[in-house]
Amino acid sequence: MSRFFATGSDSESEESSSADEITPKATGTTFNKNKEAFTPNLILCCPLRFRFEELTNIIKTIRNAMKIRDMSKCLEEFEQLYRAFLKSKTIVDKEGVPQFYIRLLADLEDYLNQLWEDKEGKKKMNKNNAKALSTLRQKIRKYNKDFETEIASYKENPEQSAEEEEKDDIGSASSKSDDDDDEGITAKSLMKKKPQEEEKKAPEASKFLKGAADEESESDDDEDSEDWGSDSVDSGGESEDNEGAAASLAVVFLKKAQDGDKQHEPKKDGRRKRHKKIEQVEEEVDEDGEAEEGGWEKVKGGVPLVKEKPKMFAKGTEINSAVVIKKLTEILQARGKKGTDRAAQIELLHALSGISNENNLGQGILVKIKFNIIASLYDYNTNLAAFMKPEMWKKCLECIDELLDILFENNNIFIGENIAEDSENLAISDQPFRVRGCILTLVERMDEEFTKIMQNTDPHSQEYVDNLKDEGRVCGIIDRLLQYLESKGSTEEVCRIYLRRIMHTYYKFDYKAHRRSLGLQGETKSEQDQEESEGEDSAIIMDRLCKFIYAKDRTDRIRTCAILCHIYHHALHSRWYQARDLMLMSHLQDNIQHADPPVQILYNRTMVQLGICAFRQGMIKDAHNALLDIQSSGRAKELLGQGLLMRNMQERNAEQEKIEKRRQVPFHMHINLELLECVYLVSAMLLEIPYMAAHEFDARRRMISKQFHHQLRVGERQPLLGPPESMREHVVAASKAMKMGDWRTCHSFIINEKMNSKVWDLFPETQCVREMLVRKIQEESLRTYLFTYSSVYDSISMETLSEMFELELPTVHSIISKMIINEELMASLDQPTQTVVMHRTEPTSLQNMALQLAEKLGGLVENNERVFDLKQGVYGGYFNRDQKGGYQQKQNYQRDQKGGYQQKQNYQRGGYRNQNQSSY
Amino acid sequence: WTIHVSVFQVVMKIIKHYQEEGQGSEVVQGVLLGLVVEDRLEITNCFPFPQHTEDDADFDEVQYQMEMMRSLRHVNIDHLHVGWYQSTFYGSFVSRALLDSQFSYQHAIEESVVLIYDPIKTAQGSLCLKAYRLTPKLMEICREKDFSADGLKKASVGYENMFEEVPIVIKNSHLINVLLWELEDKSTAADKHELLNLSSSTHLEKSLQMLMDRVDEMSQDINNCLFFIPLQYIQRRQQENAQRQSRGEPPLPEEDLSKMFKPPQPPPRMDTLLIASQLSTYCQTIKEFTSQNLGKLFMAEALQGTSSYS
Repeated sequence: MSRFFATGSDSESEESSSADEITPKATGTTFNKNKEAFTPNLILCCPLRFRFEELTNIIKTIRNAMKIRDMSKCLEEFEQLYRAFLKSKTIVDKEGVPQFYIRLLADLEDYLNQLWEDKEGKKKMNKNNAKALSTLRQKIRKYNKDFETEIASYKENPEQSAEEEEKDDIGSASSKSDDDDDEGITAKSLMKKKPQEEEKKAPEASKFLKGAADEESESDDDEDSEDWGSDSVDSGGESEDNEGAAASLAVVFLKKAQDGDKQHEPKKDGRRKRHKKIEQVEEEVDEDGEAEEGGWEKVKGGVPLVKEKPKMFAKGTEINSAVVIKKLTEILQARGKKGTDRAAQIELLHALSGISNENNLGQGILVKIKFNIIASLYDYNTNLAAFMKPEMWKKCLECIDELLDILFENNNIFIGENIAEDSENLAISDQPFRVRGCILTLVERMDEEFTKIMQNTDPHSQEYVDNLKDEGRVCGIIDRLLQYLESKGSTEEVCRIYLRRIMHTYYKFDYKAHRRSLGLQGETKSEQDQEESEGEDSAIIMDRLCKFIYAKDRTDRIRTCAILCHIYHHALHSRWYQARDLMLMSHLQDNIQHADPPVQILYNRTMVQLGICAFRQGMIKDAHNALLDIQSSGRAKELLGQGLLMRNMQERNAEQEKIEKRRQVPFHMHINLELLECVYLVSAMLLEIPYMAAHEFDARRRMISKQFHHQLRVGERQPLLGPPESMREHVVAASKAMKMGDWRTCHSFIINEKMNSKVWDLFPETQCVREMLVRKIQEESLRTYLFTYSSVYDSISMETLSEMFELELPTVHSIISKMIINEELMASLDQPTQTVVMHRTEPTSLQNMALQLAEKLGGLVENNERVFDLKQGVYGGYFNRDQKGGYQQKQNYQRDQKGGYQQKQNYQRGGYRNQNQSSY
Repeated sequence: WTIHVSVFQVVMKIIKHYQEEGQGSEVVQGVLLGLVVEDRLEITNCFPFPQHTEDDADFDEVQYQMEMMRSLRHVNIDHLHVGWYQSTFYGSFVSRALLDSQFSYQHAIEESVVLIYDPIKTAQGSLCLKAYRLTPKLMEICREKDFSADGLKKASVGYENMFEEVPIVIKNSHLINVLLWELEDKSTAADKHELLNLSSSTHLEKSLQMLMDRVDEMSQDINNCLFFIPLQYIQRRQQENAQRQSRGEPPLPEEDLSKMFKPPQPPPRMDTLLIASQLSTYCQTIKEFTSQNLGKLFMAEALQGTSSYS
């Protein structure tokens, strides 16, 4: 650092001044140029002093503990010292091990050894102390090995090394302050007398540091810059000896303490001088605007000198665009640098915009400044995960609004990212303004910030509602920008802003359009008017925007998102066929796994919405299929980006968790998980229960829905079955009722007060959905009933069935016909009597069992033959030949399984006989 | 060789024991006491093994048995150990555990038998009590602990001749017989005759189910056997030889497989044998049951026929 300053000090360039402004130690140095020479010392001291202060403090306590023979304290402190030393390792590596540290180590070891020898004393010690002594002795022995040479040299000549240090101290002291030699000597002698005192005072000295610094700075003024240049090099060399650096401060203090009288005077003097200096500088400033600005910048970076700060420009400066632009660039240069006070920067920019407004510098500059204000608002939070504070957010919205106002008012402003910095035209008003910057990016960023705010607000608080009210403003801004870009932007930009618009539209249910489609007009004329004036249906908007994107977009991602949003919107508004066709046409199902996680989440949301839509339309199978993937994983919450699963907590590290948290969908866009699960379970029930009834004896029965079965099993495991409480229990209870073909009970379990409030009322068309459900339950119950009890009946009247299930006769007829056609029900319809005549071809359970057994035995025999074959060797004789016959017959049998039962049995028997003949 | 079993001291006790402690597929066991007289084994008494749970693991069964027998001797009851009894569920009793314990009984006391009591059949109206012993051949094998395929082959033990059933004669003392005659006179006829129950499907289903499970086990076992033999190697060699033959070259010599492959532990045959034996028992019971049932059905048909004609 010192080297940098040594070189930088002779140049007057702005660069150095701007670098200066960020160094925090430039306190009170409003003076330019030659002052830099002394700063290095201070800066170097800073970490060193801090570190070594800690060390010296600990050493002090150790020495005290040594004096009172408090070994346990000693041990404790030693451990601390060791840790502190490790912390300062980097400095130590650079500078070497500080002498005082070595000294302590040596002393401590000597002292401990001495104590150790002193048997008498040891006996007197209490237990704790004795224990601490032995451990400490061991520790220090071990530890001191690392410093063997240093300690040896110290022991050889303790006096000398102490002296050396002091000399160093003095050396640095004399180099720092412009004391005369006498003072140096006195200080030296003082320290010789009480070396320990010095250490004690070291920390105190630091308190005085400011004063000292002041003094120094004041004294600097008197000196030539040349002197300081050389000194700074010196001090750099000295600082290698840490002790020197640390102690030098003490020296300054000591010196002051010693001749306090002397000091007062120079201090006062100094003050006076400083005042003068400031005045001088101000004069300078007036003369030379640029340099002055640099100077003021510095103020802002450090501890602010509040009085001067608000003044952006010195009085009398003619404020024109050039100056303002200059100023702006200066402010911007500080951007992103360490130590820049971001809040202050925003303030400054605001002030600047005020000034430019006052002075009518033209819209170009204003736009430019606005851009930068917004940018620095975004910059305010360095952490990506952190979200904007409410006031910042408000400010940001206002700024963007204002910016848009300006842009709308002034047609002659061109903005764009691609306008180079030097081709900007901010001031010349007769040509169109050209401003670098991208309003679209700003708005996109704003949108993201909004999402972030929503993510970080507790969704059940009033605060969330308040924040959500801003959504309207966000949408407003997006809309305005959309209008702006439609007239001015490139297609890509339009696509991007369209997508933003879509993203804010797709998940909202359009109640107005819904009502209109139902033919319900507003009650009064005025309301109706209002409705009509409130713009087009969201469906039309979505359609228009999405189609534009489909046609014009060249990045795949925007199109994918748009399609998904479009489907979601269709599904949300129960336009099932459009939604489904769009989904199938897009072929997204094939390649969605290559997309990035946010798009995948969107895809999952869309699929879920599609499934729910299908359910509402009564397409149970489609609903089940659409929801299967999401529900079967058991991670619906995670897949929809609606929360993290606790289970995975240990699997992912903090970093991943942060990323996942950022992906979460804000609460107001959530899909109700209970609704989702309920829809899934009910559709699974409607599919699975008849299926189970139909394939009761089938050994190779497949499950349609694993999750549904799981729920059933959970229900069965319950030792005591009370009335259902949760949604799941309701569905399980309903399934049980349906299994018996009892549709009324099933219906009462699925649709009741509790379920209404939990699930069904969440649909926009509650009544339709409920009616659909009742009908489905009736139909499926009928099917189940027929499957389960067909073996009991010889014939059954359709009228009875229609009464039992409260279905119209034609419906019953069609259901039964369908079952007969699909060969699910072995029966025929007797038209004149309107009855179903059962054929009784279904095997009884015993027969089924026997069939299964036969099959298994077949397998067994086959296996047995293979074993035998192997055992017989390669040419197993007649076995191979005959066996083939047996196999073929088996295959035939399997192929023929669908055929009548009677036939099958015959076949089977035949096959068996053959096999038996062949094998034995 | 016959076994004479007394009704009141043994049969009723066993039935009572099961009624009280056994449920469903749970098995109850106990000790048989008696003595050998000439060429018959008379089982004159028994006592159950107490049911004990996992947590009193320090329960000493041997101690309990000795104690019990000593107490019985004090009251002048036959106290010689002649075997044990066990209940069964749908005729499934052939297991490794039964084999082992019967072996140890028979090893220690030459004349011991195991009585198998089938509560379900008994509930259907016919007392089912069977006595089994291990055949001398199986005893030989168990003694040598040689369950490999070769060992079994040498001893020519198949599933058919693992156990021998010993005929049972159920006997009462004359006094009791007299009492029973008297009771029979007094008692009114039972309302229900379980024996004539016509429904058969549940029992058959259950039996079939068990049979099927066993068959599954058997298949599993056979599969193990299949993989025990280095199948792939043999197939390759077969193919190669077939090719060579087609080219007219002499086939590769059949090498000793055991030299090329480290012979893995051959799967013990005993379990398979036991399963086979169990299967045959099942088949036996099913056969018995069905033949009985068929008889009943014919009887019922005849009855119905006559009633409809009249």
